[in-house]
Amino acid sequence: MGGFLDYVPGDSWLHRLNPLTKIMISLVLCVACFLSANHILILIIIGINLCMGALSGTMNRSLRILEVLSKLAIILFIVQILFIRDGNILLQLPFNILITDAGLSFSLLFCLRFIAATMPLVLMLSVTQMSDLTNVLVSKLGIPYKYTFVLTTAIRFIPIFSAEMTNIMEAQIARGVDFDTRNFFKKIRLLLPLCVPLLISSVKRIDSGAIAAELRGFNLRKRNSGYRQYPFKKKDLLALLFSVVLIVVATQVPAFI
Amino acid sequence: MIHFEHVSYGYGKTSTIQDVSFHIQKGEFVSIVGANGAGKTTLSKLCNGLLKPASGMVTIHGQNTQNTKTSLLARTVGFLFQNPDRQICQNTVYDEIRFGLECVLNDPIEVDRRCTETLDQFAFDGERDPFSMSRGERQQIALASLVACKPQVLILDEPTTGLDYQECMHMMKIICELNEKGTTIFMVSHDMELVADFARRVLVIREGKLIGDGETRAVLTNRALLDQASVLPPQIPTLAHQLGTGFEAVFTLNEMADIVEGRGQ
Repeated sequence: MGGFLDYVPGDSWLHRLNPLTKIMISLVLCVACFLSANHILILIIIGINLCMGALSGTMNRSLRILEVLSKLAIILFIVQILFIRDGNILLQLPFNILITDAGLSFSLLFCLRFIAATMPLVLMLSVTQMSDLTNVLVSKLGIPYKYTFVLTTAIRFIPIFSAEMTNIMEAQIARGVDFDTRNFFKKIRLLLPLCVPLLISSVKRIDSGAIAAELRGFNLRKRNSGYRQYPFKKKDLLALLFSVVLIVVATQVPAFI
Repeated sequence: MIHFEHVSYGYGKTSTIQDVSFHIQKGEFVSIVGANGAGKTTLSKLCNGLLKPASGMVTIHGQNTQNTKTSLLARTVGFLFQNPDRQICQNTVYDEIRFGLECVLNDPIEVDRRCTETLDQFAFDGERDPFSMSRGERQQIALASLVACKPQVLILDEPTTGLDYQECMHMMKIICELNEKGTTIFMVSHDMELVADFARRVLVIREGKLIGDGETRAVLTNRALLDQASVLPPQIPTLAHQLGTGFEAVFTLNEMADIVEGRGQ
Protein backbone atom coordinates (compact mmCIF):
# COMPACT_ATOMS: atom_id res chain seq x y z
CA MET A 1 0.00 0.00 0.00
CA GLY A 2 1.52 3.29 -1.08
CA GLY A 3 1.82 6.30 1.20
CA PHE A 4 -0.52 9.29 1.04
CA LEU A 5 2.09 11.45 -0.68
CA ASP A 6 3.24 8.96 -3.34
CA TYR A 7 2.66 9.72 -7.01
CA VAL A 8 -0.18 7.71 -8.57
CA PRO A 9 0.66 7.04 -12.25
CA GLY A 10 -2.12 7.94 -14.67
CA ASP A 11 -3.09 9.80 -17.82
CA SER A 12 -6.12 11.74 -16.63
CA TRP A 13 -6.72 15.42 -17.53
CA LEU A 14 -5.47 16.35 -14.06
CA HIS A 15 -2.25 14.39 -14.62
CA ARG A 16 -1.74 16.17 -17.94
CA LEU A 17 -2.13 19.70 -16.55
CA ASN A 18 0.96 21.86 -16.25
CA PRO A 19 2.51 21.17 -12.80
CA LEU A 20 2.44 24.91 -12.07
CA THR A 21 -1.31 24.96 -12.79
CA LYS A 22 -1.77 22.08 -10.36
CA ILE A 23 0.15 23.97 -7.67
CA MET A 24 -1.95 27.06 -8.36
CA ILE A 25 -5.26 25.15 -8.15
CA SER A 26 -4.30 23.47 -4.89
CA LEU A 27 -3.19 26.79 -3.38
CA VAL A 28 -6.34 28.54 -4.59
CA LEU A 29 -8.54 25.84 -3.04
CA CYS A 30 -6.63 26.26 0.25
CA VAL A 31 -6.87 30.05 0.19
CA ALA A 32 -10.58 29.95 -0.75
CA CYS A 33 -11.26 27.90 2.40
CA PHE A 34 -9.75 30.63 4.56
CA LEU A 35 -11.30 33.56 2.66
CA SER A 36 -14.80 32.22 3.14
CA ALA A 37 -16.57 31.61 6.41
CA ASN A 38 -19.43 29.84 4.67
CA HIS A 39 -19.76 26.21 5.71
CA ILE A 40 -21.62 25.22 2.55
CA LEU A 41 -18.97 26.71 0.25
CA ILE A 42 -16.26 24.78 2.12
CA LEU A 43 -18.32 21.61 1.83
CA ILE A 44 -18.55 22.32 -1.91
CA ILE A 45 -14.74 22.66 -2.02
CA ILE A 46 -14.42 19.24 -0.33
CA GLY A 47 -16.85 17.96 -2.99
CA ILE A 48 -14.67 19.52 -5.74
CA ASN A 49 -11.65 17.73 -4.26
CA LEU A 50 -13.49 14.40 -4.32
CA CYS A 51 -14.65 15.00 -7.92
CA MET A 52 -11.08 15.76 -8.97
CA GLY A 53 -9.95 12.62 -7.14
CA ALA A 54 -12.54 10.58 -9.03
CA LEU A 55 -11.61 12.13 -12.39
CA SER A 56 -7.89 11.55 -11.83
CA GLY A 57 -8.33 7.91 -10.79
CA THR A 58 -7.29 8.55 -7.19
CA MET A 59 -10.74 8.26 -5.61
CA ASN A 60 -9.72 5.50 -3.20
CA ARG A 61 -6.86 7.58 -1.89
CA SER A 62 -9.07 10.69 -1.66
CA LEU A 63 -11.58 8.75 0.44
CA ARG A 64 -8.82 7.36 2.65
CA ILE A 65 -7.45 10.88 3.19
CA LEU A 66 -10.94 12.14 3.94
CA GLU A 67 -11.35 9.37 6.52
CA VAL A 68 -8.00 10.12 8.22
CA LEU A 69 -8.58 13.88 8.20
CA SER A 70 -12.11 13.44 9.53
CA LYS A 71 -10.78 11.47 12.51
CA LEU A 72 -8.27 14.24 13.27
CA ALA A 73 -10.98 16.86 12.71
CA ILE A 74 -13.18 15.22 15.34
CA ILE A 75 -10.38 15.65 17.92
CA LEU A 76 -9.88 19.29 16.86
CA PHE A 77 -13.65 19.86 17.01
CA ILE A 78 -13.88 18.59 20.59
CA VAL A 79 -10.90 20.70 21.71
CA GLN A 80 -12.23 23.82 19.97
CA ILE A 81 -15.82 23.58 21.16
CA LEU A 82 -14.78 23.21 24.81
CA PHE A 83 -12.72 26.40 24.83
CA ILE A 84 -14.95 28.88 22.94
CA ARG A 85 -17.26 30.65 25.38
CA ASP A 86 -18.72 33.38 23.12
CA GLY A 87 -22.31 33.29 21.82
CA ASN A 88 -25.54 31.83 23.20
CA ILE A 89 -25.21 28.95 25.61
CA LEU A 90 -26.68 25.71 24.23
CA LEU A 91 -25.43 23.36 26.92
CA GLN A 92 -23.73 23.73 30.28
CA LEU A 93 -21.39 20.92 31.31
CA PRO A 94 -19.69 20.20 34.65
CA PHE A 95 -16.54 22.24 35.54
CA ASN A 96 -18.22 25.33 33.99
CA ILE A 97 -17.65 24.10 30.44
CA LEU A 98 -20.03 25.79 28.01
CA ILE A 99 -21.20 24.69 24.60
CA THR A 100 -22.28 27.79 22.65
CA ASP A 101 -23.76 28.31 19.19
CA ALA A 102 -20.76 30.44 18.14
CA GLY A 103 -18.40 27.76 19.44
CA LEU A 104 -20.31 25.08 17.54
CA SER A 105 -20.26 27.11 14.32
CA PHE A 106 -16.60 28.10 14.56
CA SER A 107 -15.45 24.57 15.51
CA LEU A 108 -17.34 23.12 12.57
CA LEU A 109 -15.89 25.75 10.23
CA PHE A 110 -12.40 25.12 11.61
CA CYS A 111 -12.69 21.36 10.98
CA LEU A 112 -14.14 21.79 7.49
CA ARG A 113 -11.34 24.22 6.63
CA PHE A 114 -8.77 21.76 7.96
CA ILE A 115 -10.12 18.99 5.70
CA ALA A 116 -10.77 21.16 2.64
CA ALA A 117 -7.36 22.86 2.77
CA THR A 118 -5.34 19.66 3.23
CA MET A 119 -7.01 17.53 0.56
CA PRO A 120 -5.95 19.57 -2.53
CA LEU A 121 -2.28 19.52 -1.48
CA VAL A 122 -2.32 15.73 -1.16
CA LEU A 123 -4.23 15.43 -4.44
CA MET A 124 -1.69 17.67 -6.18
CA LEU A 125 1.19 15.44 -4.97
CA SER A 126 -0.75 12.33 -6.06
CA VAL A 127 -0.99 13.51 -9.67
CA THR A 128 2.38 15.27 -10.03
CA GLN A 129 5.78 13.62 -10.26
CA MET A 130 8.32 15.12 -7.85
CA SER A 131 10.77 15.71 -10.70
CA ASP A 132 8.13 17.71 -12.64
CA LEU A 133 7.34 19.72 -9.52
CA THR A 134 11.01 20.57 -9.02
CA ASN A 135 11.63 21.35 -12.69
CA VAL A 136 8.66 23.64 -13.07
CA LEU A 137 9.49 25.58 -9.89
CA VAL A 138 13.02 26.10 -11.20
CA SER A 139 12.26 26.82 -14.87
CA LYS A 140 9.01 28.82 -14.58
CA LEU A 141 9.34 30.53 -11.19
CA GLY A 142 13.13 30.84 -11.15
CA ILE A 143 13.46 29.38 -7.66
CA PRO A 144 17.05 28.12 -7.16
CA TYR A 145 17.26 24.35 -7.60
CA LYS A 146 18.75 23.94 -4.10
CA TYR A 147 15.57 25.22 -2.46
CA THR A 148 13.16 23.21 -4.62
CA PHE A 149 15.30 20.14 -4.00
CA VAL A 150 15.00 20.71 -0.25
CA LEU A 151 11.22 20.98 -0.56
CA THR A 152 10.74 17.90 -2.73
CA THR A 153 13.25 15.86 -0.72
CA ALA A 154 11.43 16.73 2.50
CA ILE A 155 8.14 15.53 0.98
CA ARG A 156 9.79 12.43 -0.49
CA PHE A 157 11.35 11.53 2.86
CA ILE A 158 8.06 11.54 4.80
CA PRO A 159 6.99 8.00 3.72
CA ILE A 160 10.61 6.79 4.01
CA PHE A 161 10.87 7.99 7.61
CA SER A 162 7.42 6.64 8.35
CA ALA A 163 8.52 3.19 7.10
CA GLU A 164 11.75 3.49 9.11
CA MET A 165 9.78 4.33 12.26
CA THR A 166 7.55 1.28 11.66
CA ASN A 167 10.67 -0.90 11.36
CA ILE A 168 12.18 0.59 14.53
CA MET A 169 8.93 0.01 16.42
CA GLU A 170 8.83 -3.58 15.13
CA ALA A 171 12.39 -4.09 16.40
CA GLN A 172 11.40 -2.78 19.83
CA ILE A 173 8.17 -4.82 19.98
CA ALA A 174 10.25 -7.91 19.16
CA ARG A 175 12.35 -7.07 22.26
CA GLY A 176 9.27 -6.99 24.44
CA VAL A 177 8.32 -3.29 24.41
CA ASP A 178 4.55 -3.07 24.72
CA PHE A 179 3.28 0.00 22.86
CA ASP A 180 -0.35 -1.04 23.42
CA THR A 181 -0.44 0.55 26.87
CA ARG A 182 -3.33 2.94 27.55
CA ASN A 183 -1.18 5.00 29.90
CA PHE A 184 -0.32 8.10 27.82
CA PHE A 185 2.78 9.00 29.86
CA LYS A 186 4.10 5.44 29.72
CA LYS A 187 3.58 5.42 25.97
CA ILE A 188 5.53 8.68 25.60
CA ARG A 189 8.30 7.24 27.81
CA LEU A 190 8.47 4.18 25.53
CA LEU A 191 8.37 6.17 22.29
CA LEU A 192 10.94 8.84 23.21
CA PRO A 193 14.01 6.55 23.06
CA LEU A 194 12.98 5.57 19.51
CA CYS A 195 13.79 9.10 18.35
CA VAL A 196 17.46 8.18 18.74
CA PRO A 197 17.62 5.38 16.12
CA LEU A 198 15.26 7.36 13.85
CA LEU A 199 17.42 10.48 14.06
CA ILE A 200 20.61 8.51 13.48
CA SER A 201 19.26 6.65 10.45
CA SER A 202 17.81 9.92 9.05
CA VAL A 203 21.08 11.80 9.40
CA LYS A 204 22.99 8.89 7.84
CA ARG A 205 20.55 8.67 4.94
CA ILE A 206 20.60 12.43 4.29
CA ASP A 207 24.38 12.53 4.56
CA SER A 208 24.87 9.73 2.05
CA GLY A 209 22.23 11.29 -0.22
CA ALA A 210 24.03 14.65 -0.10
CA ILE A 211 27.37 13.03 -0.97
CA ALA A 212 25.77 11.11 -3.86
CA ALA A 213 24.16 14.34 -5.16
CA GLU A 214 27.48 16.24 -4.93
CA LEU A 215 29.25 13.48 -6.84
CA ARG A 216 26.66 13.73 -9.60
CA GLY A 217 27.26 17.46 -10.06
CA PHE A 218 24.41 18.82 -7.94
CA ASN A 219 25.89 22.33 -7.73
CA LEU A 220 26.38 22.58 -11.50
CA ARG A 221 22.64 22.54 -12.12
CA LYS A 222 21.20 25.79 -13.47
CA ARG A 223 17.76 27.16 -14.34
CA ASN A 224 17.89 25.75 -17.89
CA SER A 225 19.46 22.40 -16.98
CA GLY A 226 16.13 20.52 -17.16
CA TYR A 227 15.38 19.21 -20.66
CA ARG A 228 11.61 18.92 -20.19
CA GLN A 229 9.37 21.77 -21.33
CA TYR A 230 6.18 22.70 -19.51
CA PRO A 231 4.07 24.78 -21.92
CA PHE A 232 0.73 26.25 -20.80
CA LYS A 233 -2.22 24.90 -22.83
CA LYS A 234 -5.87 25.82 -23.14
CA LYS A 235 -6.91 23.44 -20.34
CA ASP A 236 -4.39 25.14 -18.03
CA LEU A 237 -5.97 28.52 -18.74
CA LEU A 238 -9.44 27.08 -18.10
CA ALA A 239 -8.25 25.64 -14.79
CA LEU A 240 -6.74 28.98 -13.77
CA LEU A 241 -9.96 30.75 -14.77
CA PHE A 242 -11.88 28.35 -12.51
CA SER A 243 -9.45 29.22 -9.71
CA VAL A 244 -10.08 32.96 -10.14
CA VAL A 245 -13.86 32.39 -10.11
CA LEU A 246 -13.56 30.35 -6.94
CA ILE A 247 -11.54 33.04 -5.20
CA VAL A 248 -14.12 35.68 -6.18
CA VAL A 249 -17.02 33.52 -4.99
CA ALA A 250 -15.18 32.83 -1.71
CA THR A 251 -14.78 36.54 -1.02
CA GLN A 252 -18.38 37.38 -1.98
CA VAL A 253 -20.40 34.61 -0.33
CA PRO A 254 -21.54 35.71 3.14
CA ALA A 255 -20.73 33.76 6.28
CA PHE A 256 -23.14 30.95 7.16
CA ILE A 257 -23.99 32.33 10.61
CA MET B 1 8.96 -25.54 19.49
CA ILE B 2 7.91 -23.72 16.28
CA HIS B 3 4.94 -25.13 14.39
CA PHE B 4 3.67 -23.78 11.06
CA GLU B 5 0.37 -25.33 9.94
CA HIS B 6 -0.74 -24.39 6.41
CA VAL B 7 0.28 -20.78 6.92
CA SER B 8 -0.46 -18.16 4.28
CA TYR B 9 0.22 -14.45 4.42
CA GLY B 10 0.01 -11.57 1.96
CA TYR B 11 0.83 -7.86 1.74
CA GLY B 12 -2.32 -6.29 0.29
CA LYS B 13 -3.45 -8.48 -2.61
CA THR B 14 -0.02 -10.06 -3.11
CA SER B 15 0.36 -13.47 -1.52
CA THR B 16 3.83 -13.65 0.02
CA ILE B 17 3.60 -16.94 1.92
CA GLN B 18 1.48 -19.74 0.55
CA ASP B 19 0.40 -22.81 2.51
CA VAL B 20 3.67 -23.30 4.39
CA SER B 21 3.92 -26.10 6.98
CA PHE B 22 6.95 -27.21 9.00
CA HIS B 23 7.96 -28.04 12.56
CA ILE B 24 11.16 -27.07 14.35
CA GLN B 25 12.15 -28.98 17.47
CA LYS B 26 13.91 -27.54 20.51
CA GLY B 27 17.66 -27.13 20.04
CA GLU B 28 17.64 -27.32 16.24
CA PHE B 29 19.77 -24.98 14.08
CA VAL B 30 17.64 -24.28 11.03
CA SER B 31 18.46 -21.96 8.17
CA ILE B 32 16.11 -20.67 5.53
CA VAL B 33 17.41 -19.88 2.05
CA GLY B 34 15.84 -18.41 -1.06
CA ALA B 35 16.16 -15.59 -3.57
CA ASN B 36 15.40 -11.95 -2.74
CA GLY B 37 11.66 -11.45 -2.30
CA ALA B 38 11.02 -15.18 -1.82
CA GLY B 39 9.44 -14.53 1.59
CA LYS B 40 12.27 -15.38 4.01
CA THR B 41 11.94 -12.27 6.20
CA THR B 42 8.13 -12.52 6.12
CA LEU B 43 8.41 -16.11 7.33
CA SER B 44 10.77 -15.10 10.14
CA LYS B 45 8.43 -12.28 11.21
CA LEU B 46 5.56 -14.78 11.32
CA CYS B 47 7.66 -16.79 13.78
CA ASN B 48 7.57 -14.13 16.49
CA GLY B 49 4.13 -12.71 15.84
CA LEU B 50 5.25 -9.44 14.23
CA LEU B 51 3.07 -10.63 11.35
CA LYS B 52 -0.07 -12.65 11.94
CA PRO B 53 -0.99 -15.37 9.43
CA ALA B 54 -3.92 -14.65 7.11
CA SER B 55 -4.78 -18.34 7.29
CA GLY B 56 -3.28 -21.34 9.05
CA MET B 57 -1.66 -21.32 12.46
CA VAL B 58 1.75 -20.54 13.93
CA THR B 59 2.50 -21.77 17.44
CA ILE B 60 5.66 -21.03 19.42
CA HIS B 61 6.23 -23.15 22.50
CA GLY B 62 2.50 -23.90 22.51
CA GLN B 63 1.43 -20.25 22.18
CA ASN B 64 -0.64 -19.35 19.13
CA THR B 65 0.88 -16.16 17.65
CA GLN B 66 -2.54 -15.09 16.35
CA ASN B 67 -3.84 -14.28 19.81
CA THR B 68 -0.60 -13.59 21.69
CA LYS B 69 1.04 -10.16 21.78
CA THR B 70 4.48 -10.01 20.16
CA SER B 71 5.78 -8.24 23.26
CA LEU B 72 4.72 -11.29 25.32
CA LEU B 73 6.24 -13.71 22.81
CA ALA B 74 9.51 -11.75 23.21
CA ARG B 75 10.04 -13.65 26.49
CA THR B 76 10.34 -16.83 24.44
CA VAL B 77 11.55 -15.58 21.04
CA GLY B 78 14.45 -13.20 20.41
CA PHE B 79 14.67 -11.54 17.00
CA LEU B 80 17.96 -10.16 15.71
CA PHE B 81 17.33 -7.72 12.85
CA GLN B 82 19.66 -7.24 9.90
CA ASN B 83 20.20 -3.59 10.85
CA PRO B 84 21.24 -3.23 14.53
CA ASP B 85 20.63 0.54 14.40
CA ARG B 86 16.88 -0.08 14.47
CA GLN B 87 17.21 -1.82 17.79
CA ILE B 88 19.81 0.25 19.64
CA CYS B 89 18.19 3.23 21.35
CA GLN B 90 20.19 3.86 24.54
CA ASN B 91 23.31 5.91 25.17
CA THR B 92 25.47 3.26 26.81
CA VAL B 93 25.97 -0.45 26.18
CA TYR B 94 24.84 -1.19 29.76
CA ASP B 95 21.59 0.78 29.33
CA GLU B 96 20.95 -0.88 25.98
CA ILE B 97 21.17 -4.37 27.47
CA ARG B 98 19.16 -3.24 30.50
CA PHE B 99 16.39 -1.72 28.31
CA GLY B 100 15.54 -5.07 26.71
CA LEU B 101 15.74 -6.91 30.03
CA GLU B 102 13.40 -4.47 31.78
CA CYS B 103 10.76 -5.20 29.14
CA VAL B 104 10.65 -8.91 29.97
CA LEU B 105 11.71 -9.04 33.64
CA ASN B 106 10.23 -7.34 36.71
CA ASP B 107 13.01 -8.18 39.17
CA PRO B 108 15.57 -5.29 39.30
CA ILE B 109 18.20 -7.41 41.07
CA GLU B 110 17.94 -10.12 38.41
CA VAL B 111 18.07 -7.42 35.67
CA ASP B 112 21.32 -6.06 37.15
CA ARG B 113 22.80 -9.53 37.53
CA ARG B 114 22.02 -10.49 33.93
CA CYS B 115 23.36 -7.15 32.61
CA THR B 116 26.70 -7.76 34.33
CA GLU B 117 26.75 -11.39 33.23
CA THR B 118 26.10 -10.45 29.58
CA LEU B 119 28.71 -7.68 29.61
CA ASP B 120 31.26 -10.23 30.87
CA GLN B 121 30.16 -12.84 28.33
CA PHE B 122 30.59 -10.44 25.41
CA ALA B 123 33.59 -8.61 26.95
CA PHE B 124 31.93 -5.19 26.51
CA ASP B 125 32.68 -1.99 28.38
CA GLY B 126 29.23 -1.06 29.69
CA GLU B 127 29.95 2.67 29.68
CA ARG B 128 30.74 2.88 25.95
CA ASP B 129 28.45 4.71 23.55
CA PRO B 130 27.02 2.10 21.13
CA PHE B 131 26.65 4.68 18.34
CA SER B 132 30.40 5.32 18.29
CA MET B 133 31.19 1.61 17.87
CA SER B 134 31.77 -0.30 14.61
CA ARG B 135 28.95 -1.97 12.69
CA GLY B 136 30.15 -5.41 13.84
CA GLU B 137 30.23 -4.30 17.48
CA ARG B 138 26.75 -2.77 17.22
CA GLN B 139 25.46 -6.05 15.79
CA GLN B 140 27.01 -7.85 18.77
CA ILE B 141 25.37 -5.38 21.19
CA ALA B 142 22.02 -6.10 19.54
CA LEU B 143 22.67 -9.82 19.96
CA ALA B 144 23.88 -9.32 23.55
CA SER B 145 20.68 -7.53 24.53
CA LEU B 146 18.70 -10.50 23.18
CA VAL B 147 20.94 -13.11 24.79
CA ALA B 148 20.54 -11.36 28.17
CA CYS B 149 16.81 -12.18 28.02
CA LYS B 150 17.64 -15.89 27.59
CA PRO B 151 15.10 -16.61 24.85
CA GLN B 152 14.34 -20.22 23.97
CA VAL B 153 14.24 -19.39 20.26
CA LEU B 154 16.55 -16.99 18.47
CA ILE B 155 15.55 -15.72 15.03
CA LEU B 156 18.41 -14.20 13.07
CA ASP B 157 17.63 -12.15 9.97
CA GLU B 158 20.86 -11.95 7.94
CA PRO B 159 22.95 -11.67 11.13
CA THR B 160 26.32 -11.31 9.40
CA THR B 161 25.46 -8.71 6.73
CA GLY B 162 28.08 -5.95 6.72
CA LEU B 163 30.46 -7.82 9.02
CA ASP B 164 34.04 -8.73 8.11
CA TYR B 165 35.22 -12.35 8.32
CA GLN B 166 36.52 -12.04 11.88
CA GLU B 167 33.38 -10.31 13.17
CA CYS B 168 31.24 -12.85 11.33
CA MET B 169 33.06 -15.81 12.90
CA HIS B 170 32.88 -14.23 16.36
CA MET B 171 29.15 -13.71 15.95
CA MET B 172 28.61 -17.29 14.74
CA LYS B 173 30.73 -18.67 17.62
CA ILE B 174 28.39 -16.99 20.12
CA ILE B 175 25.33 -18.26 18.24
CA CYS B 176 26.70 -21.82 18.15
CA GLU B 177 27.42 -21.73 21.89
CA LEU B 178 23.83 -20.68 22.53
CA ASN B 179 22.61 -23.48 20.27
CA GLU B 180 24.76 -26.03 22.15
CA LYS B 181 23.13 -24.86 25.39
CA GLY B 182 19.69 -25.63 23.90
CA THR B 183 18.58 -22.40 22.22
CA THR B 184 16.70 -23.07 18.99
CA ILE B 185 18.20 -21.08 16.11
CA PHE B 186 16.25 -20.00 13.03
CA MET B 187 18.55 -18.14 10.67
CA VAL B 188 17.72 -16.30 7.45
CA SER B 189 20.82 -16.01 5.30
CA HIS B 190 22.05 -15.40 1.77
CA ASP B 191 25.51 -16.64 2.65
CA MET B 192 25.53 -20.26 1.53
CA GLU B 193 28.98 -20.91 3.00
CA LEU B 194 27.69 -19.80 6.39
CA VAL B 195 24.61 -22.00 6.05
CA ALA B 196 26.73 -24.97 4.98
CA ASP B 197 29.13 -24.49 7.90
CA PHE B 198 26.67 -23.92 10.73
CA ALA B 199 23.07 -24.98 9.99
CA ARG B 200 22.00 -28.58 10.56
CA ARG B 201 18.74 -28.26 8.67
CA VAL B 202 17.80 -26.08 5.70
CA LEU B 203 14.44 -24.88 4.44
CA VAL B 204 14.26 -23.70 0.83
CA ILE B 205 11.63 -21.13 -0.14
CA ARG B 206 10.60 -19.93 -3.57
CA GLU B 207 7.87 -17.36 -4.27
CA GLY B 208 6.37 -17.93 -0.82
CA LYS B 209 6.24 -21.72 -1.13
CA LEU B 210 8.37 -24.13 0.83
CA ILE B 211 10.01 -26.28 -1.84
CA GLY B 212 12.69 -28.01 0.21
CA ASP B 213 13.26 -29.09 3.80
CA GLY B 214 15.98 -31.40 4.96
CA GLU B 215 19.40 -32.03 6.41
CA THR B 216 21.93 -29.37 5.28
CA ARG B 217 24.14 -31.69 3.21
CA ALA B 218 21.18 -33.26 1.40
CA VAL B 219 19.61 -29.88 0.55
CA LEU B 220 22.75 -28.01 -0.46
CA THR B 221 23.93 -30.78 -2.79
CA ASN B 222 20.53 -30.97 -4.49
CA ARG B 223 21.37 -28.76 -7.47
CA ALA B 224 17.94 -29.06 -9.09
CA LEU B 225 16.28 -27.78 -5.92
CA LEU B 226 18.74 -24.90 -5.49
CA ASP B 227 18.40 -23.95 -9.19
CA GLN B 228 14.65 -23.89 -8.76
CA ALA B 229 15.04 -21.51 -5.80
CA SER B 230 17.64 -19.38 -7.69
CA VAL B 231 20.18 -20.06 -4.97
CA LEU B 232 23.88 -20.56 -5.69
CA PRO B 233 25.24 -23.70 -3.96
CA PRO B 234 28.33 -23.42 -1.71
CA GLN B 235 31.70 -23.53 -3.48
CA ILE B 236 32.95 -26.98 -2.40
CA PRO B 237 29.85 -28.93 -3.55
CA THR B 238 29.94 -26.88 -6.79
CA LEU B 239 33.57 -27.77 -7.38
CA ALA B 240 32.85 -31.42 -6.52
CA HIS B 241 30.01 -31.43 -9.03
CA GLN B 242 32.31 -30.05 -11.75
CA LEU B 243 35.03 -32.60 -10.96
CA GLY B 244 32.48 -35.38 -11.51
CA THR B 245 32.95 -39.08 -10.72
CA GLY B 246 34.43 -39.83 -7.34
CA PHE B 247 33.61 -36.41 -5.91
CA GLU B 248 29.80 -36.76 -5.68
CA ALA B 249 29.75 -37.14 -1.89
CA VAL B 250 32.13 -34.24 -1.16
CA PHE B 251 30.59 -31.41 0.86
CA THR B 252 33.26 -29.94 3.11
CA LEU B 253 36.76 -28.61 2.53
CA ASN B 254 38.27 -31.41 4.63
CA GLU B 255 36.48 -34.08 2.60
CA MET B 256 37.78 -32.48 -0.61
CA ALA B 257 41.32 -32.31 0.78
CA ASP B 258 41.18 -35.99 1.81
CA ILE B 259 40.06 -37.16 -1.65
CA VAL B 260 42.57 -34.99 -3.51
CA GLU B 261 45.33 -36.13 -1.17
CA GLY B 262 44.31 -39.80 -1.65
CA ARG B 263 44.38 -39.45 -5.44
CA GLY B 264 47.78 -37.73 -5.35
CA GLN B 265 49.25 -40.65 -3.51
